[in-house]
Amino acid sequence: MHTLRMIAWAALWSGAASAQWLTNKTPNVPRTADGKPNMTAPAPKLPDGKPDLSGIWNPNPKYVRDIAVDLKPGDVPMQPWAEATFKERLSGSRSSEEPDANCLPQGVPKLDTAPAPWKLVQLPDQVVILYEAFTQWRQIFMDGRKLPDDPNPTWLGYSVGRWDGNTLVVESSGFNGKAWLDQVGHPTTEKLRVTEKYRRKDFGHLEIEIIIDDPGAYTKPWTVTEGPTLLVDSELLEFVCSENEQDIRHMVTEK
Amino acid sequence: MRERIILTWLLIAAIPAPAQWFKLTTPGIPRTADGRPNLSAPAPRGPDGKPVLSGIWQMNGKYLQDIASDLKPGEVPYQPWAEQLFNSRRNGAAGKNDPAARCIPGMPKLDALPYPFKIIESPGMVMMLFEGFTTFRQIFTDGRELPKDPNPAWFGYSTGKWEGDDWVVNTIGIRAETWLDNAGRPHSDALRLIERFQRRDFGHMDILLTIDDPKAYTKPWRVKEDLRLIPDTELLEYVCNENNKDYEHLTGK
Repeated sequence: MHTLRMIAWAALWSGAASAQWLTNKTPNVPRTADGKPNMTAPAPKLPDGKPDLSGIWNPNPKYVRDIAVDLKPGDVPMQPWAEATFKERLSGSRSSEEPDANCLPQGVPKLDTAPAPWKLVQLPDQVVILYEAFTQWRQIFMDGRKLPDDPNPTWLGYSVGRWDGNTLVVESSGFNGKAWLDQVGHPTTEKLRVTEKYRRKDFGHLEIEIIIDDPGAYTKPWTVTEGPTLLVDSELLEFVCSENEQDIRHMVTEK
Repeated sequence: MRERIILTWLLIAAIPAPAQWFKLTTPGIPRTADGRPNLSAPAPRGPDGKPVLSGIWQMNGKYLQDIASDLKPGEVPYQPWAEQLFNSRRNGAAGKNDPAARCIPGMPKLDALPYPFKIIESPGMVMMLFEGFTTFRQIFTDGRELPKDPNPAWFGYSTGKWEGDDWVVNTIGIRAETWLDNAGRPHSDALRLIERFQRRDFGHMDILLTIDDPKAYTKPWRVKEDLRLIPDTELLEYVCNENNKDYEHLTGK
């Protein structure tokens, strides 16, 4: 996968998503009189009163292109080196260096916005997210453990979650600093900490407030908000990046 | 990912695993007086009386190299073309042709990777999260049928149900290109896998695997793979495409 196909996918996904191949009826979906899912029904709750965030969620693909698309120019507080790197990537002259163009993981939070659905499974002691994109998983530990003091640097980091009222607050650290936040190339460093605040607004709509706190690249933390929609009566498909990857050789890195 | 690294890992994996980086204490593990996990305690059971399968498991590494390593010569009932293809892959002669060499994992080798995987039982679906390739299988337990015309996939399409204390997983729709093992046993698009998960005690589980592929084998054949529970640790991240240097050194086309 790579920018070109990402854009193609983004275009595909902006169409109606109901044409998925696997049509299993999702249980416990409120429906209108004509049998269609009622996406504005109230968010479901678990017996303990917490919102149930479980389901297959379909990201709004505009954020994979540019995570800051809703911000005003200048609202991303880049350090000088980060801005220089960003501008170079924005020009397209480093496109073959984008990690997911090389079938490397998108990293967090880009994975939230990759234009393929992901399934959130909420369990008592952890949340698991299964991503159609590259068929990857992520664990969010809810058992009260702390983030490790000296984490092994990884693409997806180490994530712990807790409830703040009806909001699931996920904090992640331990990133390897190689990921791009988006296709236009907002950079990250190993100092990145990501806070994701998941709030299910109603049955069919999730809101994720994402706080990027990376003192290695930005002068202060900054915030974006994304809104995936629920995908019902469907299932994740298999997405293997290394299979028939044809685009990377057409991409460039100018020396 | 490729054979030589797998072999290296086998050697490493043969050493006890407590040196993992995540020093955690897995809750709910029976322990001996000195605090060590009692891996021969009885298998835990859920409210439904069935064995609990959740946990981090590691496969005996020998089945990755040779899925038939416990069988006698002649016990694998090849169709002639399958035996010929298998022979042509002997001694690494076609290692490049194994999709896993290009970082494409598939069933049934995925279960046999020498890295741990985590089973998580959730309502209607059991997840297997694999450290190897940081990938996952979903096994549906909501009573759905296997699809009649599945989209061919590297992992296939899986459903699971209980038969007594055995958890039985049926998988179809597996892409014909995957290899059954590193030795290169082939299969066709007619492959049906039946995995019987049998948790023997707290720390040990078997997967009784039936390979039913009438196009490649004259009759179904069965192997028993053994796994051990890995307590007090967590899965690490494994990214095959990162720094994969071996593919160009493999032979094949």
